Amino acid sequence: MALFPYPVVDLQDRSEVTEPERLRVTLARGVLLFRWAMVAFMTAVAATGEPFRRPMLAWTSIGVAAAWTTVLTVQGHRWQTSYMLVDFAVCAWLLVASGVVVPVESVVSGRPFFAQGYPVSAAVMWGVARGPGSGLAAGAALSLFLIAVRPLNGVSLDELEARQVATLAGAVLNYIVAAGAVGLVARLLVESAEAVDAANRAAVVERERAARLAERERIGRQIHDSVLQSLALIHKRGRELMRAGRIAPERVAELAEIAGAQEAELRGLILREPEESPTGSASLRAALEQTARAVDGVAVTVSSVGPVWLDRACVEEIAAATRQALDNVVEHAAARSATIFAEEEDGIVSITVRDDGRGFAYDEDHLRAAGKAGMLKSMKGRIEDLGGTMSVSSGPGRGTEIEFRLETEPHRTQEPA
Amino acid sequence: MTDRIRVMIVDDHPVWRDGVKGDLESSGVADVVAQASDGGEAVERALEEMPEVVLMDLQLPTVSGVDATRRILEEMPHAKVLILSASAEEADVLEAVKSGASGYLLKSATSEELADAVRRTRAGDAVFTPSLAGLVLDEFRRVARGSEGEPDLTARENEVLKLVAKGYTYKEIGERLFISTKTVQNHVHNILAKLQLHKRYELMRYAIQKGLDRSPE
Repeated sequence: MALFPYPVVDLQDRSEVTEPERLRVTLARGVLLFRWAMVAFMTAVAATGEPFRRPMLAWTSIGVAAAWTTVLTVQGHRWQTSYMLVDFAVCAWLLVASGVVVPVESVVSGRPFFAQGYPVSAAVMWGVARGPGSGLAAGAALSLFLIAVRPLNGVSLDELEARQVATLAGAVLNYIVAAGAVGLVARLLVESAEAVDAANRAAVVERERAARLAERERIGRQIHDSVLQSLALIHKRGRELMRAGRIAPERVAELAEIAGAQEAELRGLILREPEESPTGSASLRAALEQTARAVDGVAVTVSSVGPVWLDRACVEEIAAATRQALDNVVEHAAARSATIFAEEEDGIVSITVRDDGRGFAYDEDHLRAAGKAGMLKSMKGRIEDLGGTMSVSSGPGRGTEIEFRLETEPHRTQEPA
Repeated sequence: MTDRIRVMIVDDHPVWRDGVKGDLESSGVADVVAQASDGGEAVERALEEMPEVVLMDLQLPTVSGVDATRRILEEMPHAKVLILSASAEEADVLEAVKSGASGYLLKSATSEELADAVRRTRAGDAVFTPSLAGLVLDEFRRVARGSEGEPDLTARENEVLKLVAKGYTYKEIGERLFISTKTVQNHVHNILAKLQLHKRYELMRYAIQKGLDRSPE
């Protein structure tokens, strides 16, 4: 016989459970503990107290309460109305039984009440499940049974003494207030839990968004590489065609074909697996290539021994310093070409910017006196902030070589955090 | 006029071949004696026309530039192959150099640079760009980390290669290291020879792994 034919939701599975649900389950567990204590109390009263009018009925009632509590323990509390109505019925029955099983008039004689606290748990659970309003209503409904216990025990409500009325009123109030208060607390807790949940979800969404942006930026960079290259190629060929004087249509078609081939290559690039990078790091080579492309006025070649993975922030600073070095070349060196070289060897990263320009006599004090040290100083500052050093080697007619040297932290090369 | 270098151009784009041909012939350095648009055709045409220098693109239909380079040099060990490619194919460039190509030039090089590179290639120089030097350095370091017994660079070769990677010309390197330009060229030549040895080691390792070195029972 399927006594509780409701779909089983495994509330233990924390990955699927929301914060408010988890909270309700915790409260239900607390109430469950209380239920077991009350079952034990009833058993103690039945075993040691005055003989009952209907011992069989008393033990059956205890059995029902114990069975129901076992079900709740094994399955966990459910929140469906039918389930809670069963709970309500068990609690109401315990109240009714209290009046029927004990000797006549003993409910007002100051002896321990048979069902004692157990029934209040039904009212409290309504409060937990449906809020303070439902809790109050359930408490009030159970109170009616509490009041009905007196006539069932042979006590006329009309003949209650003032003290007994006060005791009854106190008990009724206990039921209503307990259910209402727990309901109110539960609602407040659930609301704050929902807020926490919403904040968690927002954080997850934000993290995913950041990851997507980073991915898009990376793809964007790679496309940038390829597009620039194909454009440079078409530019060159286009100019060759123009110089040829007359332009045959098939030559233009061939140019279009080149563009098409580059397009296909680009597509392949987009579909390609990303270059695997340690978390939080960036490729120095990629950053330097990007820097080189942005410079106008001198042909810049990048030559790197491997991708050289470093902290993203570190890569950005090195690229900025390199950019300053290249700007210097364009402005002052009268160079035809410049080469950026980068490598990491024995825990030292070195970056060299070398040009074939006119060179100069490098003397920092002299440059400072002439007010020309600004750019060099700023470059040097960047690298020194990273814990590195900058050196300049130049001489009239020899070109200039600027070298940045930085120690890499062991964690960067071994195990990115 | 008789001293013009006999050149073959291999590229699948006719526009490009025409452009290069025009540049080389107007510079007075070379005669373009053959053209091919695919690696297979390149091998055939090379055997017919016996060019001294082959300008090889890498991305070719059917037979790749790397394979064509290997086959041409097997048949004609005295020919020189100069790779002329777009920069996106760096791994292929390294592979081609390991297969015997004597150098590598970017397609964005000027006409003068191209003519000069062809002249130097015929003279037996290795034509290196700084970025190829970076690739080669990386290759040697990887190999040094990975296994023993394979030819490694001497300290001097390492120094020379690094200066090439930094953009110095052979002449400038010679001045810096107080050696003749010829000696610098010899170093670069030896570096390439060692790189080509790597290729042979690689093939050997592959054969051993696959059990191809054992005779079938």
